[in-house]
Amino acid sequence: MIPLAGLLVGILAGLYFDVSVPLELQPYLPIAIVAALDAVFGGIRAVIEGIFNDKVFVVSFIANVLIAAFIVFLGDQLGVGSQLSTAVIVVLGIRIFTNVATIRRHIFHA
Amino acid sequence: MSLLNDLFAKPLDPGYEEAAARSRAAGERPTSKRTWRSPALAIGLVALGLLLTMSVLQVRNTASVVSSERQGLIEQIHNEDARVSRLQDEVSSLESEIGRLESDLLQNSAAGQQTREEVESLQATTGAIAVTGPGVVVTVDNAEEQSAENGTDRVLDLDLRQVVNGLWAAGAEAVAINGQRITPLTAIRSAQDVIQINYRPMNAPYEVSAIGDPRSLARDFGDGSGGVWLREVASKSGIRYDVDSDESLTLPAGNTPLTIAIPGEGAP
Repeated sequence: MIPLAGLLVGILAGLYFDVSVPLELQPYLPIAIVAALDAVFGGIRAVIEGIFNDKVFVVSFIANVLIAAFIVFLGDQLGVGSQLSTAVIVVLGIRIFTNVATIRRHIFHA
Repeated sequence: MSLLNDLFAKPLDPGYEEAAARSRAAGERPTSKRTWRSPALAIGLVALGLLLTMSVLQVRNTASVVSSERQGLIEQIHNEDARVSRLQDEVSSLESEIGRLESDLLQNSAAGQQTREEVESLQATTGAIAVTGPGVVVTVDNAEEQSAENGTDRVLDLDLRQVVNGLWAAGAEAVAINGQRITPLTAIRSAQDVIQINYRPMNAPYEVSAIGDPRSLARDFGDGSGGVWLREVASKSGIRYDVDSDESLTLPAGNTPLTIAIPGEGAP
């Protein structure tokens, strides 16, 4: 329940404070979100499998977001920003899907 | 493919396994079965929610800015259109007032009467006033099936010019296309595939109305250059046309007044 409450608090805080993203950071926001989603689903799966570790979660969350943003930034500088975004989304998307499928199997046993 | 295989086989961050192995090796009690209460996870989800909301709000704001700009432009177009038609109404009401004052002024003497008749016939010829009478309507439309690559199966400005010239040659006394009176100063031309008459964009079908003796006008038009041109174009590119007689046509006044030129010394 606590993680769900956290998500809700985050959404409400975003709505309440109406933070606007600086223009130069806007292209990296979607990628950062996908990376954060990957870390969160990985963490949830680890919790369910009983091997969750605070340090690993925090490091993987921050590193995922930063590296994903950095790869897109690098791609932008090299003129292949959209292709690299696609690559990041494909890789993280596969991981998210597989992790969510495992979580689903654990919860529903199906 | 080992990269993708790896991705499918081990989607979980290997760090979790390693940390668990380390703590097992250190002889620690394995972490409790459910660690939902971990503050790190909660903070991570708060961050995720914040990021999500920020991103969604950003996208929405951008979309609303674009659509409101569009809306503003559309509104501006409508406003200007309304202003143009209001000004045109004003022009035509002022013109009719001028006509009324002119005829009032000229009514008083015999010479004035004669001048008034002369002026009216000249005005009808030049398209300065609206005229009514029997005539024919030539309707020209694009071909039913359009091949996109070349525009030859559409009515061109040239076709309309040929029709108008054919009607004049067949004895038409006044001509209008889709309600735009053809005066000596009217241009029938196309700009970016849109035919403009008096600088107004027109859409197919084009109704070319001409006032004149309905029978001889229709016959002479069909035999003359206009009819020949239309038949040829119709057989070549499939555009459709139709000639109808009409007992009573009303053609509006044209709005291309002379502003610079003045009648010369020898003018009657």
